Amino acid sequence: MKQKPGKLGIREYAAIAILMVGSKATEDTPAFLYTGSQNAAWMVPILSAVVFFVPLFLLIKTISLFQGKNLFSVIQQLLGKYIGFLVCLVIFIISSLGISYDSRTYIDIIKAFYFNSTPHLVLYAILMAICTYGAKKGIQHIGSVSYLIVFYTLLSGYFIFIISFQDSNFQAILPIWGSGIPRIFKESIHRLPLFADFFLLTMLIPYLKSSKEFRKGTWIAYSYVTIHISTAILMFIVLFDRSSGAIGYPFHTLIRYISLGNYIPNVEIIFFVIWIMGAFIRFTAFLYVNALMFGYMFKIKDFEYLIPSLAAIYLMIGIIPESSMDVSHDLKPMVQSAAGPAFAAISLMVWIAALLKGEFKHAKNKSGL
Amino acid sequence: MGKSILKTLVKVLNTKPHFNEQSNQERMELKAQDISTNYEQNLENFKQIFSIPKNVDVKVREFTIRALNRHAFIIYLNTMTDIELIQKSILMPLIENEHAAGKIQDIVSFPVEKTITNIGDITENITSGITALIVDGDHQCYVFETSKVQGRSIEKSDNEVIVRGAKEAFNEKLADNMGLIRKKIKNENLIFEHFIVSKRSRNDVMLVYEKDLINHETLHSLKDKLKAIEVDSVLDLSLLEQYLEERPRSLFPTILNTERPDRAVSFIEEGHIVILMSNSPNCLVLPATFWSLFHSPEDHYLRVPYGNFIRILRLVALFISMFSSSFYIAITNYHVGMIPPDLLMAIAGARERVPFPSIIEILMMEIAFELIREAGLRVPSPIGPTIGIVGALILGQAAVQANVISPIVIIVIALSGLSSFIISDTSLNFAIRLSRFLFIFAAGFIGIYGFGALIVLGLFYLTSLKSFGVPYFAPMTPHFFSSKDLIIRHVPMKERFRPGYLKPKDMVKQRKE
Repeated sequence: MKQKPGKLGIREYAAIAILMVGSKATEDTPAFLYTGSQNAAWMVPILSAVVFFVPLFLLIKTISLFQGKNLFSVIQQLLGKYIGFLVCLVIFIISSLGISYDSRTYIDIIKAFYFNSTPHLVLYAILMAICTYGAKKGIQHIGSVSYLIVFYTLLSGYFIFIISFQDSNFQAILPIWGSGIPRIFKESIHRLPLFADFFLLTMLIPYLKSSKEFRKGTWIAYSYVTIHISTAILMFIVLFDRSSGAIGYPFHTLIRYISLGNYIPNVEIIFFVIWIMGAFIRFTAFLYVNALMFGYMFKIKDFEYLIPSLAAIYLMIGIIPESSMDVSHDLKPMVQSAAGPAFAAISLMVWIAALLKGEFKHAKNKSGL
Repeated sequence: MGKSILKTLVKVLNTKPHFNEQSNQERMELKAQDISTNYEQNLENFKQIFSIPKNVDVKVREFTIRALNRHAFIIYLNTMTDIELIQKSILMPLIENEHAAGKIQDIVSFPVEKTITNIGDITENITSGITALIVDGDHQCYVFETSKVQGRSIEKSDNEVIVRGAKEAFNEKLADNMGLIRKKIKNENLIFEHFIVSKRSRNDVMLVYEKDLINHETLHSLKDKLKAIEVDSVLDLSLLEQYLEERPRSLFPTILNTERPDRAVSFIEEGHIVILMSNSPNCLVLPATFWSLFHSPEDHYLRVPYGNFIRILRLVALFISMFSSSFYIAITNYHVGMIPPDLLMAIAGARERVPFPSIIEILMMEIAFELIREAGLRVPSPIGPTIGIVGALILGQAAVQANVISPIVIIVIALSGLSSFIISDTSLNFAIRLSRFLFIFAAGFIGIYGFGALIVLGLFYLTSLKSFGVPYFAPMTPHFFSSKDLIIRHVPMKERFRPGYLKPKDMVKQRKE
């Protein structure tokens, strides 16, 4: 029996978005935020969210003018064939590098904390193989799986939060402005790529039931994730205080640190399983979105067949750096500093183009008729 | 293009042997004809078709209808019919009635089922236990519904045992099974639709549904599937299940097979389709989701807290039976730090003299457990308990004493084995027992990372499963409107909606006045 591909529900979409962005609190991002703005680091995600809200809002507003079109087709329609293609290519390259280095970070974490003697390549190959399998199943199934596990992931997060309380020192959030207000603002602008995934997720609009659902899902996930990341960073700050800057992956240090009473001293494996499941989902969705972009740019209709080769390429890019330091101190910041401004600029550009072309007026006229 | 090349290559390499069928053109032509008015020729035809007198249980009785003063014969299978009934209500009136009457219907006291003329149709009817009467000079044949099949009576359900609720189970007689369903739904919208699958043995299949509830698309796709089955015979419902499933090689079942009429009825009331088949003491429910396989009817018969308690217990059992042995391997081989130091010492001490790696230990015990289980199932019931004692006590105890297995492994395996019995659905039970081995290998290969990877892989696979267009985890994800009877059930008053994934004609079960 031929199966009709279903649509992505708002729950599943929000679950993907939460897992994709929320997992940033569990890698090296908090450490960077701390080095930037010290114990006021928890404010940075909130401010970044406020700043990034503007371009994202405009972008979604613009895209919703074009019923059932995704980001790339809107860009190409508004900016013309050649410039549009160039812009799409830039987005694709940034997100490709993003997935490569992000996944490499995860592999570094796994290797450093849990599997010290396993070669990178084995861990990486398993990650990519699972992601390829999942991405080939299609976005509906990725959504379903994320919805199935998102609650357990979040619950485990809260659980960690609660048991880490007993050793926390709440005075560590003082001085409240950390390294100073101007610094925080600068850092917030700098950390826009925290939410860059939302920009990429606009590729999924045609798979949702309506653009209204997409908007609703995005804002739910957006506001939740902001609070989530901010709380997580606060949790790290009050627990580790000044040593936060020296800890590369605070989440993993934290789950090693906490214990369930005296009898069970180490519970990190349980949280590791849940975390790694979230990570699989994150890169599966990421991989799918990238394949979607590639397929759209080069007019490949059955882009699902591209997924294995793309995964192999990302694996090869990700495996190049020698050490985890290269990745988190040189390569990732480079990609991120390109991603944040670029995505924000593209969003604004698209909106301005739509404004100049009078698309908003057209839409109003259409709805008026 | 690559695929087509591969296909031709496979075709060239894989040549199936060809068999020449012996032609039975003559018989086919004979069956296509109508009966003639010539008595002798009719008799000859039927004797030839049924190989009389070689065929022992086909009876032909020739006599004269006194009222009409004409020759006639009846033909029936004495193993499938009620002979006393034939004697009393067909033969006696025909032979003894002297009053002149115009029609056969006026002579016999037995209600005439129908009259047919085609020889093939008559033959089909006779094979299913109907008595055919052929009168000299008459161009039609009278058939009487006299079938009476031997079989067991309605008994208690053996495989799906529950404490509270109806105890009766389906048996092998189609009529009984239909009665069991009919007596629970007293509504004219309940339809029993007869269907014949397979060409040669023409097995009866009964589609049961409520006409004002079900989604016609599902029904049509099911009918198309049934029509597409081109085999000589489908002997049992369990075989039919395999013909109907979308992925017959999949580990996880997508059709529910139950022997409890009350369970079948509850599904019919929700808008599912139930398939009954003659000679099968169970029924198929479709579409089936993970939840319908996972639930037990007792969840609803018990009061809400108790029902939810056993449901959560079952969920825990599912996780334990699936993950406990692989988790043990992952922990002891890769993440020793997780075990509390005292316990670690104890485990290490017990394992000190065991020569095998823990994965071998676990595999040995898992296989031993499956052996005991299978043996316990197959032995004649008088020696059944003995096997259990031999298996559990002697094997476990002796293995530990001989330093082949460490005692903690026995605990792990016993726990996972015991938990696997709680999943009552046979197919889901097998699925979990088999996937347990996959998890053991994954955990043995790369510890908890492989374990986590396999969970995600499995979830991807499961969400992509579909049963007649219904996703496996519906209505949880993708979301459909339903009464949210998933992991936790609510009070019956709140379960007001039929599952939305079935797209029933009437969503609301009970309307508030």
